[in-house]
Amino acid sequence: MTAMMQPQIILLKEGTDTSQGKAQLVSNINACMAVADVVRTTLGPRGMDKLIHDEKGNTTISNDGATIMKLLDIVHPAAKILVDIAKSQDSEVGDGTTTVVLLAGEFLKEAKPFIEDGVHPQNLIRSFRTAAYLAIEMVKELAQSIEGKSLEEKKSLLAKCAATTLSSKLIGGEKEFFASMVVDAVLAIGTDDRLNMIGIKKVPGGNMRDSFLVNGVAFKKTFSYAGFEQQPKKFVMPKILLLNIELELKSEKENAEIRLSDPSQYQSIVDAEWNIIYDKLDKCVKSGAKIVLSRLAIGDLGTQYFADRDIFCAGRVAEEDLQRVAAATGGTVQTSVNNVIDEVLGSCELFEERQVGNERFNIFSGCPSGQTATIVLRGGADQFIEEAERSLHDAIMIVRRALKNSTVVAGGGAIDMEISRYLRQHARTIAGKSQLFINSYAKALEVIPRQLCDNAGFDATDVLNKLRQKHALQSGEGKPYGVDINTGGIADNYANFVWEPAVVKINAINAATEAACLVLSVDETVKNPKSESAQGDAAAGAMGGRGRGGAAFRGRGGRGMRRR
Amino acid sequence: MALAFDEYGRPFIIIKEQEQKTRLRGIDAQKANISAGKSVARILRTSLGPKGMDKMLQSPDGEVTITNDGATILEQMDVDNQIAKLMVELSRSQDYEIGDGTTGVVVMAGALLEQAERLLERGIHPIRVAEGYEMASRIAVEHLERIANKFEFSSTNVEPLVQTCMTTLSSKIVNRCKRSLAEIAVNAVLAVADLDRKDVNLELIKVEGKVGGKLEDTELIKGIIVDKDMSHPQMPKHIEDAKIAILTCPFEPPKPKTKHKVDIDTVEKFQNLRGQEQKYFDDMVQKCKDVGATLVICQWGFDDEANHLLMHRNLPAVRWVGGVELELIAIATGGRIVPRFQELTPEKLGKAGLVREKSFGTTKDRMIYIEHCANSRAVTIFIRGGNKMMIEETKRSIHDALCVARNLIRNNSIVYGGGAAEISCSLAVEAAADRHPGVEQYAIRAFAEALDSIPMALAENSGLQPIETLSAVKSQQIKENNTCCGIDCNDVGTNDMREQNVFETLIGKQQQILLATQVVKMILKIDDVISPSEY
Repeated sequence: MTAMMQPQIILLKEGTDTSQGKAQLVSNINACMAVADVVRTTLGPRGMDKLIHDEKGNTTISNDGATIMKLLDIVHPAAKILVDIAKSQDSEVGDGTTTVVLLAGEFLKEAKPFIEDGVHPQNLIRSFRTAAYLAIEMVKELAQSIEGKSLEEKKSLLAKCAATTLSSKLIGGEKEFFASMVVDAVLAIGTDDRLNMIGIKKVPGGNMRDSFLVNGVAFKKTFSYAGFEQQPKKFVMPKILLLNIELELKSEKENAEIRLSDPSQYQSIVDAEWNIIYDKLDKCVKSGAKIVLSRLAIGDLGTQYFADRDIFCAGRVAEEDLQRVAAATGGTVQTSVNNVIDEVLGSCELFEERQVGNERFNIFSGCPSGQTATIVLRGGADQFIEEAERSLHDAIMIVRRALKNSTVVAGGGAIDMEISRYLRQHARTIAGKSQLFINSYAKALEVIPRQLCDNAGFDATDVLNKLRQKHALQSGEGKPYGVDINTGGIADNYANFVWEPAVVKINAINAATEAACLVLSVDETVKNPKSESAQGDAAAGAMGGRGRGGAAFRGRGGRGMRRR
Repeated sequence: MALAFDEYGRPFIIIKEQEQKTRLRGIDAQKANISAGKSVARILRTSLGPKGMDKMLQSPDGEVTITNDGATILEQMDVDNQIAKLMVELSRSQDYEIGDGTTGVVVMAGALLEQAERLLERGIHPIRVAEGYEMASRIAVEHLERIANKFEFSSTNVEPLVQTCMTTLSSKIVNRCKRSLAEIAVNAVLAVADLDRKDVNLELIKVEGKVGGKLEDTELIKGIIVDKDMSHPQMPKHIEDAKIAILTCPFEPPKPKTKHKVDIDTVEKFQNLRGQEQKYFDDMVQKCKDVGATLVICQWGFDDEANHLLMHRNLPAVRWVGGVELELIAIATGGRIVPRFQELTPEKLGKAGLVREKSFGTTKDRMIYIEHCANSRAVTIFIRGGNKMMIEETKRSIHDALCVARNLIRNNSIVYGGGAAEISCSLAVEAAADRHPGVEQYAIRAFAEALDSIPMALAENSGLQPIETLSAVKSQQIKENNTCCGIDCNDVGTNDMREQNVFETLIGKQQQILLATQVVKMILKIDDVISPSEY
């Protein structure tokens, strides 16, 4: 009795796509490799950028792995895993997103021939996990602590870590400048987990070097009413009142209605309303504050009232800016103007309205608590500033990480080469299949220096061989050697201050191994057809649906064939 | 997009709507990007310099703009290509930051891209090119700093400022009266400038235009012009030593903001109401009179009855004045904006030496001039010209001149124009290139050549032999060791820009070089363009 004779039993809904077995595992690997290929060229200081243009006409030019992966809009289920690890790397350590995708892709690539040869995926997975464990131990062992150094020393060490991250970005040319800026900003906010206390403001125009760090808060001039220009624009040691109320002449209660029977009472109602607002304004003035900021509107009446009394005011300040001002100046945001006591007023050394590019900026500097920092970014084009912001975000995350887990390793492929060597050495002590797998894992790690060379246009084989020789030296002096991006040779990257925080590497190895294992452990994919409503939606949907229908048919055929 | 194949060699989809996306990568992407950038630069190339030509642009709604200003041209062109958009933004950011040199920056970027293309063809890695450019730009900027001259000026000696503004204006359509326009711009900026803080708020300078008259009639008014007339045609048109009440409340009975209703059930009550309303008007006018106001400027409208009363009581008034103008008037006259009649006091009144209504030519257009103000921190530039396009272009030119004056107040260093600074930088960069080991050397040399393209374009636009002229000037610079030699666009007979009084601001020039390098680097760094196919 053959399988073909049996009537087919339909288990799943019509149009469901299933595929299973070795072949689909291989195709999943292929998909992941294809995705890794996209970001491959962005690695390292000679990495290139991608210009991605979406349907809405937004353009992004980026070098950041996570950003590119997000924008690629990947639908393939296995390949999506790579997007997720890039995202998780981004949120966990902020940098190394390209590395993690590349590593995962490379692990899978190395695993592919074994799968094709019939090795059980679980075997591979187990070996990979062991290898990852060993690799991480190795990173920890090699990592050098920067703990216990003086503040000045620490600062320059942190700046080196930031510079390594920035070197691959568009703003790499000014990496020292930005690195020290980032370090100052991170140190300013202290050790608390309050990343939102670092504000990044983008102003088109100017060149990168015009960017500056405000030790305090800066925000764009808010919408202002007539009378604003009559207010003083500079204060030394002002008191600052922060509000979350409207200072406008308006109806106090939405649904109230006043009924008058005697027209002569009319004036009293009008006066009453004016008195309410004047009372509020007067209380603001009485508090002794010289600057009044509100999250809600400050109307023209308020603006003129304050202008009359030489007080600066700004309404509709963005929530986060107001929070930053509150944190920086030591004030608290009030929801009422009653009982404003001195303690709730903030203060700073200098307030000034200044021209930055085409905008006027309100800048509060020299704040007492000093736990905020604002970076004002300048650059030639919008996309440029956007990319600069992403790069700075990476650098900020790196510095914060380095500050917390203050261990660093040599970058530029040095650490990867060393782990690779160690794993190879370790593999020789293992009897059995695992030896092969760990060896291939070790080979996969070499992708980092190899890609660095490829992107820079060097002869990768040549450089890699030189590196292997250095790392194989018994004395261990070759350990910090990595790719020298400037000359095309190799160099002691630890001495050259190409540093990365150890935690980035650890996380990258972990996440990449996890992802590779996840893809390897899948032996069947079931894809449900699009729901009825979605099918009717777009022509493109119909096309995709047809494609999948065919695949489903063949998938079933495949099963039958195998059974025979 | 890279295709992956499943077990049957059938491609499958990784990215959403994969078939509909196009992808360019590697050297093709760079080539395409470079040619897009170059073509934008080519459009602007002919508008560079004093003999540069203008562009006529028609917007989708049929509005016509004629301009020579790089930023405006690019803005109006409505480009679609992504790389071309980058060039537009490049020009815009030069406009934001410096306000002048918007054409030059694009021409410079185009020249850099052109040179980069050649280097890429020789197999140099794009990032090496970009890095070389960056080094070169740093050399050039430092060199500019060295050859820059400090410019001493004070509020009495404004000649240097005027000369620099004239250089800017000379490339514009208004160049026939550049002297007077430059003077106007400089005086306006000085009037609002805070010389100690080196801060100039250009919002305090109002630029107003009116069709008719000659360009020569353009004037600087130390005060404000409002495009309104008196609320009643019979009110006096000429007020000396005016005391101005600046109001933001209408000449109407006040209304509570809360919903309200007045119940009238008897005739007496109705009459009472009516009487009260009239009393309001009476009170309002009386209050203005009491504090001694001789002119009322109001943000809102008047009730007809109020208007009549104002006329009757001989109190001239202007209504529907916009918030921004109101503010400027308040600043200029030193008055305070008053939100309701109860708060009117004599101290809050603004003072102006002369307020007059002026009509133009045969048209019925009238405008109110508020002049001889107590505090001239707010000024108006009033432009006259034959047609609307002319006025718009003059406005843009004046804006450029204002920005130049502002930049000089911020930083009083200047370099010589007419391509002199570029030629000098080119020489310096060229000399520095040979000292550089590594592939970057080629990029640095290419940068020097790109710098030459500005004087080259200047010469070309002026109808001179570009190559001959450039080489002559270059050799003169070296021979005489004189960094002031530039292209003699106006055929004056000397190449010395110092004698010709052609100056540009140092920060403007530095910005041009840095911005152009920055954007070129960005373009060179892209090796992969993924876009939906319709683009």
